[in-house]
Amino acid sequence: MANQTNRPGPDQRKTMRDLFVYARPYKRLFVGIIGLVIIYNLTQVSQPYLVKVAIDRYLLVHHPVLRPLVEIGVAYLGITLIGLGANLVQTRLIASAGQQIVRQIRVDLFKHIESLSMQYFERHDSGRLLTNVSSDTTRISQFFTQFLLSVIRDGLTIVLVLGAMLALNWKLGLLSALVIPPIVLISVGFRPRLRKSYNATRSRLSRMIGFVAENLTGMRITQVFHQEQKQFDAFSELNHGYQNASVTEYRWDVLFNRSFDLLGNLAVAFVAWLGGLAVLHHGLQIGVLYAFISYIQQFFAPINSLTQNWNTLQSSMISAERVSNVLGTRPSLEDPVNPVIPDPGDPGGVEFDHVSFAYDQNPVLQDISLSIRPGEFVGIVGETGAGKSTLISLLSRFYDVSQGSITIDGIDIRELRQADLHRLVAVVQQEVNLYSGTVADNIRLFRSEVSMDQIVTAARTTGADSFIQQLPHAYNTWLTPRGSNLSTGQRQLLAFARTVILDPRVLVLDEATANLDAVSEIAVQKGLMEVAKHRTTIVIAHRLSTIRAANCIYVMDQGRIVEQGDHATLMALGGTYFNLVKKSAIDVAQQLA
Amino acid sequence: MNQGLILPFLKKHSPAYGIAVISVGMAKAIQVQIPNIIGNFINTFRTGITVPEIETYALELAAVSLGYVVLFGLGQYTVGKYARIFEGDLRRRLFSHWETLETHYFEQHTVGDLLSHVLNDVPAVRQAMAGGVSQILQAVFLLIATLFMTITKVNLELTLISLVPLVLIPIVVVRLGPKIKQQSRLVQESLSQMSDMAEESLQSIRLIKSTANEAVEMNRFSAKTDLIYERSMRQVRLNTMFQALIPLLTGISFAIALVFGGYLTLHRTITLGAFVAFTVYLSMLVRPLMQFGNVINIFQNSSASLARIHTLLQAAPSISDPEDPAPVPEHAAIRIRNLSFTYPRATTAVLHNITLTIEPGTTLGVVGRTGSGKSTLCGILLREIDPPPGTVFIGDTDIRDLHRQELREHISYVPQDGFLFSTTIGNNIAFPLDPEQAGLDTITSAASQAQILGAIRTMPQEFSTVVGERGINLSGGQRQRVAIARALIKSHANVLIFDDSLSAVDTLTENAILETLGELRRQGRTMILVSHRLSSLRHADRIVVLDQGRVVEYGTPSELLGKPGLYANLYAIQSEGGPSIG
Repeated sequence: MANQTNRPGPDQRKTMRDLFVYARPYKRLFVGIIGLVIIYNLTQVSQPYLVKVAIDRYLLVHHPVLRPLVEIGVAYLGITLIGLGANLVQTRLIASAGQQIVRQIRVDLFKHIESLSMQYFERHDSGRLLTNVSSDTTRISQFFTQFLLSVIRDGLTIVLVLGAMLALNWKLGLLSALVIPPIVLISVGFRPRLRKSYNATRSRLSRMIGFVAENLTGMRITQVFHQEQKQFDAFSELNHGYQNASVTEYRWDVLFNRSFDLLGNLAVAFVAWLGGLAVLHHGLQIGVLYAFISYIQQFFAPINSLTQNWNTLQSSMISAERVSNVLGTRPSLEDPVNPVIPDPGDPGGVEFDHVSFAYDQNPVLQDISLSIRPGEFVGIVGETGAGKSTLISLLSRFYDVSQGSITIDGIDIRELRQADLHRLVAVVQQEVNLYSGTVADNIRLFRSEVSMDQIVTAARTTGADSFIQQLPHAYNTWLTPRGSNLSTGQRQLLAFARTVILDPRVLVLDEATANLDAVSEIAVQKGLMEVAKHRTTIVIAHRLSTIRAANCIYVMDQGRIVEQGDHATLMALGGTYFNLVKKSAIDVAQQLA
Repeated sequence: MNQGLILPFLKKHSPAYGIAVISVGMAKAIQVQIPNIIGNFINTFRTGITVPEIETYALELAAVSLGYVVLFGLGQYTVGKYARIFEGDLRRRLFSHWETLETHYFEQHTVGDLLSHVLNDVPAVRQAMAGGVSQILQAVFLLIATLFMTITKVNLELTLISLVPLVLIPIVVVRLGPKIKQQSRLVQESLSQMSDMAEESLQSIRLIKSTANEAVEMNRFSAKTDLIYERSMRQVRLNTMFQALIPLLTGISFAIALVFGGYLTLHRTITLGAFVAFTVYLSMLVRPLMQFGNVINIFQNSSASLARIHTLLQAAPSISDPEDPAPVPEHAAIRIRNLSFTYPRATTAVLHNITLTIEPGTTLGVVGRTGSGKSTLCGILLREIDPPPGTVFIGDTDIRDLHRQELREHISYVPQDGFLFSTTIGNNIAFPLDPEQAGLDTITSAASQAQILGAIRTMPQEFSTVVGERGINLSGGQRQRVAIARALIKSHANVLIFDDSLSAVDTLTENAILETLGELRRQGRTMILVSHRLSSLRHADRIVVLDQGRVVEYGTPSELLGKPGLYANLYAIQSEGGPSIG
């Protein structure tokens, strides 16, 4: 990846433009910053100059007057103060601007990602998107806080130091400039080696750490099978690999820094030689020689910092490109320009009218028609891959139908804003997502307008309250997404409580398949019945017992509805449903036989 | 500082450290010659200089800097290298120590906590051994050498007066350094908070969309970014203050030198060359003084880390093997007599008064709800948990009188979670064996017994397929079957414990595995099957039902089905998993 972007191509120039859009509000600020940097650099350059003046004008002549020396001392202090002040203000300003810019990029990016369609999330790794939000934006911020700052500050330092040298003595100045190429050469030449050894160390470290983490988790397996020695040997090898890489990295580091040191001292010797000759033959002032010895050392840090920041530029550009790619993705489903606003009093009748849907040209649903009256409880059954979940995704408008239409209370869902649609239709998924947060936050989904009373009422209604009360801090118990603090059944009950708060007209439940123990199963069933009250409810059933009492059961097979009717009718029919029921009964009977 | 870990290392490598000290010392002694040479050089101008003299000075400067750089680099590298070796040794000690600790310890400490010792504490100690030692060497030698030069070659009063502002430098470093570090930790923390939040949000994107909750999430996210902004700016404020204070102090000191040094020069107390050399010496003093501050910070930081590591290494295993272990009886019954067990620091007992005999060659099914004590029982039989004396016996020998390794040689185990290492399937199956024992035939046959061979054959790299972190590339059922193969490959184990390890396999596979187990039973192996799926226990000779740590039912499967109770209840519920017809 680094190779393809070594040189700013047309894409990078576009990326750069995208970045600067965010910087535009700070245009004036940047001008001010440049001003401050100039002030700071001028003060830095004038410090050796003041000493030169002191030497040449007051120390080499034989007037025993102290006054001008005191003045120079005061001036020196004043200049130092001004320079430091300017530098302080400047660094804070640029950091503030950079941080505000990156905050804006982060917020925009997050908002944009959330607005993308489900299709996008299915096709893009969420880990990748996460990298975009966290590390890519951090690298972009380095562009502003490190790269820009370095270019302005270090670039100006080099120019001003060189300028001061040329002004003092242009011949000696030009000759001194000869040290610049070796500095650049060393700095640039070492860089790839330093980076390579750095990366080698990082990757070996993470392998070693990964191994330790895994072995701490599986320590009992190692002990039970008595393989401590084997695992220790494997660890020692990784540990040794990392140690060697780390020593190598350090060796390059020392080599680089000492070479720089050496070059710095040689430069002083070089200037002493040239300058000495100039004093001898051309009457150069000794103070000027002093100033040159000071100036020559001021080249090193800025050049080093510039080459270092060239890498920052590279990585910022790659990150910016990735971020702007995400920002450039248009959501494949957009809200209508003139949306229909649903009446909150609408009863919640759902109608699928000859709906077909293809995903990547593969037909998934074909000619589905179903009509669910307000308040009805219907079940959808079928083998895995029959298209049950797709049906739900279409109703939530995660995708648009390829043909036909879906209406709620007579309104085509494509005429609604997605937010309004999602307030009408709530889906309880098979996998209940938990957030890091309290139980209460998980029920109200962090909506601050939901009161504690509402939360408790909702939990009571669905039967979640009883297990919540047994948690260590009841509603304030901290939950984590991956933590196993809640069982599958408890998660379902929590999701039902969420739904009661959302109070949708249409409830869709994708029933969980995981084994529930008997007690939980009864509790979940009860909760479901409570939530389903007064709502249109569609259940995708994996356990056929759940929907035995449904008003209507739709049986799906290969993207079509093959049978419909209530339990008794379908059993009498002796078709697909009958076979499904028989098969699951046989499975169970066989297992227990 | 805890010296118990460091001193022996320093002693062992004393020649190397000796070389380091000498080279750094010599390097610094040479380094301080540079300003003096420049000073003399400038003085020579006033008395009249020749071209060869200029050349000599320049060459002298070059030679001195070469000597300095080589010696200093050597010393610095040596110190850094040995610090890294120390670091590696420390990690090895930690790892091998952890291997001696039992399951209970790992339940008390999260992996993240333990890992943070490797990730933070060990490098902190390394930093003290590398940066700390190297900086203190430099600082001490340079300070002594510089002061020696300024006092002997320049002027005592000038040195003392100019030094006044500079002595504040270490104080500034010690005061602000930890604050800056703490603040940067806070910034990192807020960054990872943001990324955690974003991760959670992206994983719940379906929920967010289907509940029209985007705006709420947006606000939560922007609150995180606000926090980052605030903390970063605070860090910048501290940093800029620090970056301004040091040059300010240096500047004041320089101004004093300028005025007072100039005055001395005017009065011919010191030469112009000495004056110039002094300004260079002053700038050379800034670094060692900052280093003194740094070193204090580093040592403070790392002594806390070292103490933590020391505590970690002190944690003694709570289970110990007997000095004179009894031999493990062959083909003996497992007898449990009045076993009650309470975890340390827990208030309620997990097991109450369990009495149970498992005859050799029989299969025991263990049934019970989550938390009924099934896994504790497995842990006790493996002696990951120590039972009270006189409660658990192999034959007539108390399990506590056995050496754990010998005991475990006789037992094979399939864990509940089907834990796998992130290596190849083949290595995972062969895990209990020494590499030379683990032929492909042995592995293949274990895989076939565990009904996983077919699945492995369809994988592109067969047994060399990497299972990913915690077996992520395999399905839950496949993981369990690989874990079963791993247990079965240990063919010399007389006792097999399955801790609910068939929960994720489908009915057909379960039947096939149960057939394998039937074969093993015919070979006379003892088996303990924990499950809450009763279908897996249909071939058990005896079933024990646990409820809240007590044996509530015990008997053959058909006996238990015949009388009302938990087993019969569970049976009824599980057979009702599908709708009953007719």
